[in-house]
Amino acid sequence: MTDSNGAHEPHGATGHEAPTSTNNPNATTNGTSNMPGATGSLDPTLQAASTAATRNKPPVWAIILAVLAVLAVIIGSIAAIRTLTSSNDTPAGHKESNVTIGVKLAPTNLDIRNTAGSALDQVLIDNVYEGLLDRGADNGVQPGIAQSWDVSDDGKTYTFELADGMTFSNGDTLDSQDVVWSLNEAIKQGYHGSEFLSAVDTVTASDSSTVIITLKEPDADLLWNLTGRAGLIYDEEAEGSYDPKTQALGSGPFTVEQFTADDSITLKRNDEYWGKNKAKTEQITIKYFTDNNAAVNALKSGDVALLAPIMPNVMQTFADDPEHYDVQPGDDTDKYTLAMNNGDGHATNDKRVRQAIRYAIDHDELIAARGGVDLPLYGPIPELDPGYEDLSALYPHDVAKAKQLLAEAGYNEQHPLKLTLTYPNIYGSEIGDMLRSQLAQAGIDLDVQEVEFSTWLEQVYTNKQYDLSLVDHNESHDIGSWANPDYYFNYNNKQVQQLINDARTAPTEQESEAKLKQAARIISEDAAADWLFNYRVTTAMAKGVEGFPVNMNQSFMPLVDFTYTKQ
Amino acid sequence: MIRFLARRIITLLVALVAISIVIFLLLRVLPGDLALVMAGVNAPASRVEALRTQLGLDEPLGMQYLHWLGSLLHGDLGASQLTGRPVASLVATRAAITFPLIGLGLLVALVVGIPLGCAAVLARSRRVRAVFQTIAVIGGAVPALWAGLVLIVLFAKGSGLLPLFPSQGFPLNAWHNPGAAFMSLILPALTVGLIVGASIMRYTRSALAEQMQSDVIAMAMACGYTRTQAVLHVGLRLALPQLVSVIGLTFAEMITGVMVIENLFALPGIGTGLINDVGHRDLLAVQGELFMLAAFFLVIGLLVDVTHRVLDPRLKG
Repeated sequence: MTDSNGAHEPHGATGHEAPTSTNNPNATTNGTSNMPGATGSLDPTLQAASTAATRNKPPVWAIILAVLAVLAVIIGSIAAIRTLTSSNDTPAGHKESNVTIGVKLAPTNLDIRNTAGSALDQVLIDNVYEGLLDRGADNGVQPGIAQSWDVSDDGKTYTFELADGMTFSNGDTLDSQDVVWSLNEAIKQGYHGSEFLSAVDTVTASDSSTVIITLKEPDADLLWNLTGRAGLIYDEEAEGSYDPKTQALGSGPFTVEQFTADDSITLKRNDEYWGKNKAKTEQITIKYFTDNNAAVNALKSGDVALLAPIMPNVMQTFADDPEHYDVQPGDDTDKYTLAMNNGDGHATNDKRVRQAIRYAIDHDELIAARGGVDLPLYGPIPELDPGYEDLSALYPHDVAKAKQLLAEAGYNEQHPLKLTLTYPNIYGSEIGDMLRSQLAQAGIDLDVQEVEFSTWLEQVYTNKQYDLSLVDHNESHDIGSWANPDYYFNYNNKQVQQLINDARTAPTEQESEAKLKQAARIISEDAAADWLFNYRVTTAMAKGVEGFPVNMNQSFMPLVDFTYTKQ
Repeated sequence: MIRFLARRIITLLVALVAISIVIFLLLRVLPGDLALVMAGVNAPASRVEALRTQLGLDEPLGMQYLHWLGSLLHGDLGASQLTGRPVASLVATRAAITFPLIGLGLLVALVVGIPLGCAAVLARSRRVRAVFQTIAVIGGAVPALWAGLVLIVLFAKGSGLLPLFPSQGFPLNAWHNPGAAFMSLILPALTVGLIVGASIMRYTRSALAEQMQSDVIAMAMACGYTRTQAVLHVGLRLALPQLVSVIGLTFAEMITGVMVIENLFALPGIGTGLINDVGHRDLLAVQGELFMLAAFFLVIGLLVDVTHRVLDPRLKG
C-alpha cells in the first residue's frame, strides 16, 4: 500500500498526513481537530465539511452494536418468513404428478442405436423403448414385446409369440414387421449392441404376431441379449420422421418430453401405452449431477426425490436420518477392474508380477474406505451373472508373498518395480492413492495418472499404452472380452477362448454355466487382472418414494411403478 | 475516428482467421475422438471406423479446416455432432445463464468494489487504510470455489444455516419462470461478485491513487472542493477510462472464469457446456463455441477502445 497511498503525500492532502499518523480512530476528538487547521484552508465550507465528516465518527463498539442489531432483525424476519412459508407448502399425503430424480452420468445424446454408454440404457430401455424381451430385477429374462417363446431342440430356432394390440407412442401399430425390421436393421447397420446378434442367420415373421429367429450356431446368451439394446424394437413407419439424436420414439410407458444434453431429461407418461401396467407418475425429470456436493444439496433441499447413485463418501448424512431418508445399496454387475497389460514389453507380461500385485492389494481395506457397501470380487464374473463362483481363496492379501514373487521376477529394493496406473478421472483420486500406498508396501513404485475418459479411450483402450488401468466394467454378461485377444487387456489364452465359445454354444444353461465358471477360474488364476470389488450402487431416497428399482439401476431403471408422496 | 475504426476492424478480421487456425489445431492435439466416445468400451473396432467415416473424422485435417472455414464465412458456426444442435443455439441457451450471471456478478462487484476502493483512498487513518488493504488482499486471495461453498453452507436452500436461495441448477424452463431463474443466480452471482469486487476495489484504489499523485486533486481543492469532493468528482472521473478497461476485460474474462462457479452451482452455462463438449470430443461444437467466444472477446476489446476515445478526448491526437 505504501507506494500508492504514500504517493499523495506531497500534494494537497499532505498537510494533515503527519498528524493523522498518530490519529486513533477510536478517539473521536483528538487529531481530527488538527486537520482543518493543518490544511490551512481559509474556505469555511471546506473546513466545516471536513470537520463534520470526522467529528461524528461513532466509537467502534457502537458500530458493532448497530451491525449486530441489523443482523438480528434480518435473521428474525427470515425465520418468520420461513415458518410462514413452510406451513404453506406441505400438502402431504398425495402422489406428486411431477417428480425430479437425481442421477450421475448423463447421456450425450439420445441415439441409442449409435451411441455407447449405460446412461442411455438406463433412461430409455423399458421407459421409452421396449425390447423383444424384458430384463427382471434379478437380471433374468422376462416376457416383453414377446409374450412367450420356444427354442428348438438343436438350439438354433427361436419362435416368439408377440403380445396383442401393441402400439408405438405415436399410435402406429407394433407387430412382427417392426420386430423383423428392427433386428435386421441392427445387424445390417451394425448398430450398437448388434455384435450380440452375430449368431443370427435370419429373422422372419410367419404371421403378424409370430417372429422366428434362426441361428448359424446355438447361442446360450441370445435371450438375455435380446433384453438389452440388441433386442429394442423401433417403429419402421416413423423412421426418418424424428431426430434420433434428440428425440426418441418407442412403445414404452413414457415418451421423452424434453432433452437437454448433459443436464436433464423429462419423461412424460404415454397415456396410450398398450401394456396393462401404465406409468404411475405423470412426469418424471431426470436431472444429472456431475458434482457430488451438488447432488447432496439437491436431495437435502427437496429439489430431487432421490439420488441414484449416491457416492459412499457423502451418503452418511442421509443414512443418519432414517426418519426422512431411505438409503439402500443395490446389487449390480459393476466390476472395478484393475487391468494389467498382459502384452509383450510390459513388466506385467510376467505372471509373477501380476500375481504379486494381486497379493499386495488389500481388497477389504479398499471396500472399507469406500463405506463398506461394495462386495469383494475376485474374478471376472459378478454374482448376478451366470458362472459366478467365490474365488476369494485364490489370492488372499499377503504382502510377504507379493515381495517373494517380485524377488523371483528380479525386482528388489535397488531395482524396484515401477509401474504406471492410468485411469479416467471420473473415479476420483482416492482409489489411485490407496492403490499406490498398498503397492508401495510390497515395494512397487506406482505412478498414478488420472486422465480424461476420452484420453483413456485413445491411450489405454485403443493404443494399449499402459501398465495398469482401472475402469468400472459395468456391463452384465461381458466375460467375452477375456476371449478377445485384441481387447485392451492383451490377454490371450486359447483355453479360455475355447471355454467361452463352448459356453455360448452349449445346448443347456447348466453346461454353459459350468464352462463359464471354469473360464473365470482360469482367468483369475492367471492374474489376468485384479478385480478390486463389485461396486454396489447405493440409492438415497426421500421418504415417500415407492417403486424405484434399487438393483442394477445404473443400466436399467424402469420407472413405470415409481411414485413419490411428499411426507 | 473513422480511420481508427477501419484499422481496428481489419485487425479484428485478421485476428479472427488466426484464431480459427489456432483453435482448430489445438483441439486436434487432444487424444481420443468422438467416434471412440460414441463406440464406448464394448464395440468392435470396425464400429469405431464406421463411425469415423460417418462423422467425417477420417478426412485430412486440411480439408476439415477448409470445410469449417467455409461454413464460418457463410456465417454458419457449425453444429454439435452428438446432438445435431447448431452451435449458435447451444451458445445462446448457455449464454442465457452465463451472461445474466456475469451481469449480476459484475453489478455486485461494482457496488462493493468502487465505494470500497474510494473509501480506501479517502480514509485518513493509516489503520483504516490497512483494514481496506487487508479486505482487498483477502478478497483477491479467496478461491472462488471456497467462497461459493461458504455461501452454500450459509444460505443454500435445504442445507444452509439460513436456507434462502436454491444452490443447485437452473429451472428447466429457464427464464419462463423469471423469479425462480433469478433466485437460482443469486448465490453464484454473490460468489462471483465478492471476488471480482475485491479486484475492482484494488483497481479503483490504484487508479484513484494515481490521480492523487497528479496535481489535479490539489488543483481541484485549490478551487474549493473538499478532499472527498475532489476525489469523487474529479479523481474518479479521470480514473474512469482506466476502470472501464478493467471492467470490460473483467467481463470478458468472466465468461470462462465463472466456469468453476457454474460447476459448483450446477448451472448449465457456457463454461460447463465447454467442459462437457471437450470431454465428449464433440470438436465441431467446441471449435464453434470457442470461435464465437473469441470473436466476442475481440469485439469487447474494440468497444472498450472506442469507449476510451469517447471518455478521454486526449486520445484523439
